[in-house]
Amino acid sequence: MKIKRKKSQANIPSMAMGDIAFNLLIFFVILARAQDDSHLHWEPAQATEVQSSGVAKVSLVIDSKNKYHINGQRVGAVQLTSTIKALLGDAPRGERIVLLKVHKDAPAMFFEPAIEAISEAGGDMVHILEQRH
Amino acid sequence: MKERRTSKLLVEPPASATGDIAFNLIVFFLVCASIQPDSGRPQTIPRSDKEEQQQKENNIEVALTENVVMIDGQVQEDAAFFGLVQERLRNKVRDEDRVVIVKSDSNTPYSRWIKFTELIEQAGGIITIQTEEEIIIAQ
Repeated sequence: MKIKRKKSQANIPSMAMGDIAFNLLIFFVILARAQDDSHLHWEPAQATEVQSSGVAKVSLVIDSKNKYHINGQRVGAVQLTSTIKALLGDAPRGERIVLLKVHKDAPAMFFEPAIEAISEAGGDMVHILEQRH
Repeated sequence: MKERRTSKLLVEPPASATGDIAFNLIVFFLVCASIQPDSGRPQTIPRSDKEEQQQKENNIEVALTENVVMIDGQVQEDAAFFGLVQERLRNKVRDEDRVVIVKSDSNTPYSRWIKFTELIEQAGGIITIQTEEEIIIAQ
């Protein structure tokens, strides 16, 4: 007599699809935040005229503790030019925008090297500012 | 005989859809958060070369400290700054003549630097910076 093998079914319950998608999304959001600089603390300076900056490949932040961050990652002053150059690559003019987000009270000894580094790397610098009302 | 009411006024969404609802809500808020554009001011800092070094003598020099602004070594009032720069740039047509060299003291705050560089640009000037390091080398 042949004994029939019991087939065990291992289907993913369709009810859990929403939860799976939810967890995947959380995973990618956390991954994306690693390159984001929204967690850094800085207050923009004010200006009378501001315009939309457009899409940028590089974002350089000088936070309230005068530390440099490129695309959310901490970098040293000496690495600024090389890091920006590497991120911009061979991008043509108009696609070499570098956002400069400097804390309003940061002293010149910190923001001037950043301006120089962007200029040396051939970036199109945009100071991120707040509209003065 | 009374007819039984079949329609229910309160219809609860099926519990199995809560995951999908949460997913759609997150996507909505993510899209809302990511479309906030950054606004600011583009600025081109010309690279300095030998010709520009020779030209420097004819250019306006603005020195900035925490409390004081100077034009060509003369202390000026903040309120009069824009008019003075505009006056000096009045008859200058060529780009190289409109270059304004900004020298900042190491403690000059960014907000003050932005305020004065904005005024220079509004007056028609082209900004170039000279760092303390360059000043020491030049001396």
